[in-house]
Amino acid sequence: MLDESIQELASRSFARIAAAASPEALEAVRVDAVGRKGALAEISKGMGKLSPEERKRIGQVLNAAKQQLEAALDARKQEFDEAALRARLDAEWVDLTLPAPGPRRGHLHPITRIQRELEDLFVSLGFTVLDGPEVETEYYNFDALNIPPDHPARDMQDTFWLDGGNLLRTHTSPVQVRGMERLGPPLRMIAPGRVFRNESVDASHEHTFYQLEGMMIDRDVSVAHLLYFMKTLLTAIFQRDVTVRLRPGYFPFVEPGFELDIQCLICGGPGCPVCKHSGWVELLPCGLVNPNVLRISGIDPEEWGGFAFGLGLTRLVMMRYGIDDIRHLQGGDLRFLEQF
Amino acid sequence: MKFSYNWIREMIPGLTEAAGPLERLITMKTAECEGIEETGALLAEACAARVESVEPIPGSHNVKAIVDAGALGMKTVVCGAPNCRPGLLTAYVPLDKKVVHGIESDGMLASGAELGINRDHDGIVELGTLEGCAPDAAIEIDNKSITHRPDLWGHHGMAREVAAILGLELTDPANLELLPQGPAAIKIQIEDLDLCPRYSALVFENVTVQPSPLWLQYRLTAIGLNPINNIVDMTNFVMAELAQPMHAFDADLLHGDTIFIRPAKPGEPFRALNGEDYTLDPSNLAIADSAGAIALAGVIGGGDSAIGAKTTRVVLESANFQASSVRKTSSAIKLRTDASMRFEKAQDPVNTVRGLARAVELLREISPGIRLVGGLADQMREMAAPPAIELSLEWLERKLGRATEPAQVRRILESLAFGVTEVQPGVFSVTVPSWRATKDVASKDDLVEEVGRMLGYDSITPRAPLVPAAVPPGNPARRFQHDVRNLFVDNGFTEVYNYSFLSEESVRAFGFDPAEHIRVTNPIASNQELMRASLLPGIWKNVTGNAKHRESFRLFEIGLEIHRREQGLPEEIPHLVAALYSRHEGGIFELKRVAECLLPGARTVPAEARGYEHPARAAAVHWKGAVAGRLFELHPRFVETGRAAVLDLDLRLVESLSGDRTKYRPIRRYPSSAFDLSVIAPLREHAGQLEAAIASFAGPLMEAIQFVRQYAGPPLVEGTKSVSFRLTVGSPERTLSSDEITAIRTTIILRMRDLGYELRV
Repeated sequence: MLDESIQELASRSFARIAAAASPEALEAVRVDAVGRKGALAEISKGMGKLSPEERKRIGQVLNAAKQQLEAALDARKQEFDEAALRARLDAEWVDLTLPAPGPRRGHLHPITRIQRELEDLFVSLGFTVLDGPEVETEYYNFDALNIPPDHPARDMQDTFWLDGGNLLRTHTSPVQVRGMERLGPPLRMIAPGRVFRNESVDASHEHTFYQLEGMMIDRDVSVAHLLYFMKTLLTAIFQRDVTVRLRPGYFPFVEPGFELDIQCLICGGPGCPVCKHSGWVELLPCGLVNPNVLRISGIDPEEWGGFAFGLGLTRLVMMRYGIDDIRHLQGGDLRFLEQF
Repeated sequence: MKFSYNWIREMIPGLTEAAGPLERLITMKTAECEGIEETGALLAEACAARVESVEPIPGSHNVKAIVDAGALGMKTVVCGAPNCRPGLLTAYVPLDKKVVHGIESDGMLASGAELGINRDHDGIVELGTLEGCAPDAAIEIDNKSITHRPDLWGHHGMAREVAAILGLELTDPANLELLPQGPAAIKIQIEDLDLCPRYSALVFENVTVQPSPLWLQYRLTAIGLNPINNIVDMTNFVMAELAQPMHAFDADLLHGDTIFIRPAKPGEPFRALNGEDYTLDPSNLAIADSAGAIALAGVIGGGDSAIGAKTTRVVLESANFQASSVRKTSSAIKLRTDASMRFEKAQDPVNTVRGLARAVELLREISPGIRLVGGLADQMREMAAPPAIELSLEWLERKLGRATEPAQVRRILESLAFGVTEVQPGVFSVTVPSWRATKDVASKDDLVEEVGRMLGYDSITPRAPLVPAAVPPGNPARRFQHDVRNLFVDNGFTEVYNYSFLSEESVRAFGFDPAEHIRVTNPIASNQELMRASLLPGIWKNVTGNAKHRESFRLFEIGLEIHRREQGLPEEIPHLVAALYSRHEGGIFELKRVAECLLPGARTVPAEARGYEHPARAAAVHWKGAVAGRLFELHPRFVETGRAAVLDLDLRLVESLSGDRTKYRPIRRYPSSAFDLSVIAPLREHAGQLEAAIASFAGPLMEAIQFVRQYAGPPLVEGTKSVSFRLTVGSPERTLSSDEITAIRTTIILRMRDLGYELRV
């Protein structure tokens, strides 16, 4: 008789478990069926009257029914949990095509970008990066670079003069002198920075622009070494093999002095409008450091020699990005700056 | 400077290279060419022709002319020139026939300007002969590239280069045998032989002043000089040929028999050829007669003694002046002339008499009947030959990075007129020609350049130097600035570069004193005359400019503030200025957040607002015990719509306080405890002050204090607010007991009450 009640209770409970519409309903079935005061517990109370053998058997039947019911309850509960999780996840749908809040990344100035690239390049070649003041003395800007007062070479650079007799540096070359004074030979240095020339401004001329000065002083430094560094530098800058040539150029702080041309990157040599049909583009002045310049900075030119060059950073930036108007660089217009 | 190809070819009989290839050779070996300009193209076809008859054309100012064009035969042309008259010898140019006023015109009669001979286009050319007039090419050399080469300011010098490049013979247009012997007809007195190392002169009589022959006019026109009259043209011709500037005085307009070369007297008046009056001072070297200045040495001649139509006697000056003296005078009176441009390059004193010899030859041709009076007047300082320079092949190789044969070195140097002696194997003793010795060539490195350029730098193979590997000294300041740039860019700021110049107006707008700024004495424009002592005016301009296109944006600049110092160079302080603009809401707290990324733990301490700052939204930024800058909103006066929050930091100071001083501390083993406190304070009490006060009362066991929220409104009394903080307390040695925590809390509450603050408990 007990067997029957257990059987009946079990099948009734299974049906209720299957029919439970909510976790709460399921919980009610659990309480009714296998709870401490549930139906199975009720049945087990009547076991005292049974013979030991029968008690043992019925006990086993009860246990089996309990385990089955609990397993069914757990399985059903897990179904509810999974459904609930699914529902929650579904409710948490977001439109990931919406933009992220907060500001977008800003933009480095194009001159900063190229300048850093060059700084990293030269540091990797063992050069140190030096700074010098933008307001300079006549001595550093001219005299110490072998450009004495009343030398016509002073005309090559229209100078802004300041009250008090100082001037705005017309090139980054004074940092050569400061570098030699501070660090002495051997020396490998570059000096990127802002320079000033008293020129009227138009699409290709600025009174404020950027240069990168470079200098190497060691025991034996030759034109062959200068050519090597220039070729290495320019190959890295333009990310392709470049052909360079030197031709005579006059700058009082170098002797011999050169203009360095690169073979036109647009036409590759036959001539085009960019290179004015010459096949070559003038890129930077350079040369072996004039012995007078070494001597002025206390370096013996019999013992030490060097090369120096001046790269037009602004011009390089314009070439790299195809900027057609130099005035944009200091115009502060976001429509320009955000392109970089 | 322009060089006539025909002129150069006249001095190099063997020259076969055309102007184009020659230009490239000169560029590679000597000086930069900027292009070639064809001149006198019509001269290829032109021929001399005689106007036989002229008939007016009804209803036109043109005439119908019949001309005898020699070998081309008789031609009928329509001509509009007022000087077209029978018997005139002019130039005929054959062109395609065309009908003008119903008359078939076969070719044209040309003006001097049309032919390129001179600038005369008032009528057709009136000529004796077209001989010496052929199409020419003017090669333009960049003046900067011959700054160091006094000799290249004349055709002969350039011809010497060309001859050396091509291995050709060079002829010398100056024949010193033409100089007269005997006592001079004029005396010369040089006061300072440093300022005037040499003064040479000749006197001529029976001079005819007239237009120059066409070949001479053409030479000058081809290189951009203006023909004036035969005497003046001759001086310009010699200057363009030999680089020796000359000046001709009308001898009858000079006073006395002596030419004085002396410093000008203070306030000495001088009327120049250009019609300008100058007041001289002793820094100017004057050429004077007994009555006063007749020329400004090396710069310009005087108007009162100028050559004119009536001139019959001429004193011809060919002198040498100190380069820097000429340059000083020329820049002081702001007058650059063809003469001063040459003298300031340090001309060769040997050249004065060469110029005079060339002049004698030319004047005989262009002023028929001219006679020399007396011998050469010539005063000079003693001229020592420059010392020989020793050049070794070893030095040459060390500098060029390639080996050179001794014979090659000798050939190159000798082709450029250097004297070469091999004093021992591989070592040369080199003498420098006078025209290269004034400033240009003085050391063995100068000779390296001579040999190198003539060898061709393309003969040098690039080679990596053998140098020890070494870590280069760092540049922490620059590196720091790059880090700051990254931080601001990552937080949405875009970098701008502004000029270092400011206008007085913008400086005043910010309440700065223009007198404290360094002033540019020669500004590019009157609104760019002050050096920026603040980056704010620049960023302000960026803000107002971009606000026209954008609702909101973020900008920053890193640049130098330039501050006047009592002595020496000014102080240049790197600053960061960042601006956050929005048309709708203020962004000062967002800017503060970014500032705290750079300056962790910085405090913004309310400060009295400056004129350009929003009076209720301005603070000083305190960091590590120093005032690092300001955080504020621009005063609404400066921003028409919207709000601009600005951060201005002294990066030199910030960098000096930065640096990685991180030191590890063990993680605490005992748990900390936290509790909240809410302070009732007047509405405008600063939370920062409350926080500082609480922290100061919390004792050594406080680990952290953090602002939680503030609230104003019911049930609080109007005009007050409640500000809540969370305090974390703990000890590295033990877990605090609840009694200890309560004690800390109570102390704070009591001490705050002492200060007059109620706490919501």
